[in-house]
Amino acid sequence: MNKKVISIVIGFMCLILSYGISVQVKTINSIGTKTSTNATENELRDEVLRAKEKYDNLYNALEEAEKKLEQERTNATQNNTELTDLENSIKEANKVAGLSEVTGPGITITLDDNDKITSNNILLDPNSALVHDIDVIRVVNELKNAGAEAISVNGQRIVTTTAIECDGNVITVNGVKIGTPFVIQAIGLPEQLNGLNRYGGYLMNLQENYGIKVTTKKEDEITIPKYTGVIKFEYAESK
Amino acid sequence: MIVIAILIGCIIGAVIGMNSPVIPYTYSIFLAIAVVAALDSVFGGITSVLKKNFDLTIFISGFFCNSILSIALTYLGQKLNLDIYLAALVVFVGRMFTNLTIIRRHYIEKWTNKREKEEVKE
Repeated sequence: MNKKVISIVIGFMCLILSYGISVQVKTINSIGTKTSTNATENELRDEVLRAKEKYDNLYNALEEAEKKLEQERTNATQNNTELTDLENSIKEANKVAGLSEVTGPGITITLDDNDKITSNNILLDPNSALVHDIDVIRVVNELKNAGAEAISVNGQRIVTTTAIECDGNVITVNGVKIGTPFVIQAIGLPEQLNGLNRYGGYLMNLQENYGIKVTTKKEDEITIPKYTGVIKFEYAESK
Repeated sequence: MIVIAILIGCIIGAVIGMNSPVIPYTYSIFLAIAVVAALDSVFGGITSVLKKNFDLTIFISGFFCNSILSIALTYLGQKLNLDIYLAALVVFVGRMFTNLTIIRRHYIEKWTNKREKEEVKE
C-alpha cells in the first residue's frame, strides 16, 4: 500500500467528517438553542422543537392541499356561469372572513417603546413607557372606525375571533406571541386612515404624553396575510 | 503527506458544509452520532498508519459501518425510549482517547530519539 492512496483516502474521510460537523453546527445555530446543563430542560426544549417542526411540516402540507383545492375548484367551475357565481361568492366570503390574502392601498403604523426616559420626563412609572395590549387594541379599533377593510398586527390577521392580550412582556394576537415594535397594517383609503394621526387623537396622545415612538406611513400597496388558524362555530347556528 | 491530506480534506469539507442547506432538527442527533463514529474511525486510521498495519478495506468499511450502526442504534434507542446512543458515544470517545495516546506516544518517542542521537553526535 503506497502512502499516496492512504493520504487520499484519509483526506476524503476528513472531508466527509468536517462536512458533517459543519452541517450539524449550522443546523444547531439556525435553531438558536443553547445546550443547558439541565437535562430536563434540554429534553423539554428538544420536544418543543420537534413539535414545532412537525407543525410546520403539517402546515405546509395543508397549504399545498388548499392550493390544490382552489385549483380544482377553478377548473371545475370554468364553463358554468352558475358555479362561477358561487365560486366568486366563496372568494368574497373568504375575503371578508380574513381567510385569503389581500392587497391594496393603506397605511402602516409602527408603535415602539419609549427608550429615552430621562429625569425631566414626567414619566416616573416605567410601565407607561411601554406599548401595551390596550394601545394596540385602541389603534386597531380606531382603524376599524376609519373604515379599514383588513388589518394585521405583526403579520397576524385580525379576524372576528382575534383576541389581543397581554402576556407578560409580550402580547398575543391570535394566540401567537409578538413583541415590539408592533407593525399594524391596514387596507383602506389611506387619507382616511391617516386621519388617525390627527391632533388630539389616540396616537398623538401616546406620542406626546408617553413618548411612545409612533410612525405612520401611507402606502400604495400592502399585502395582508390570511388568518392561519381555524374558525370553528359550534354553538352559533344561522337561521 | 497525511497531515496535508487531512488539512485539505477538513477545509474543503467545512466550506461545502457552510454552503449546504441545514437538515431538519429531528435528524440532527443522527448526524451528530455519525460524526462521532466517523471521527473515531479517522483516529483509528491514523493510528494504524503509524503502526504500519493500515488496511484500506478495513478502514473504509469501519468508517461507514460504524456510522451506520451508531445511527441504527440511536434509532432503536428512540423507539425503545432508551438512550442507547450514550453507549456508542462512550465506546467511540473512549477509543478516540486511546488512539490519541498512541499517536502522541509515537511522535514523542520519535522526537526524543532524535534528540538523543544529536546528543550522542556532539
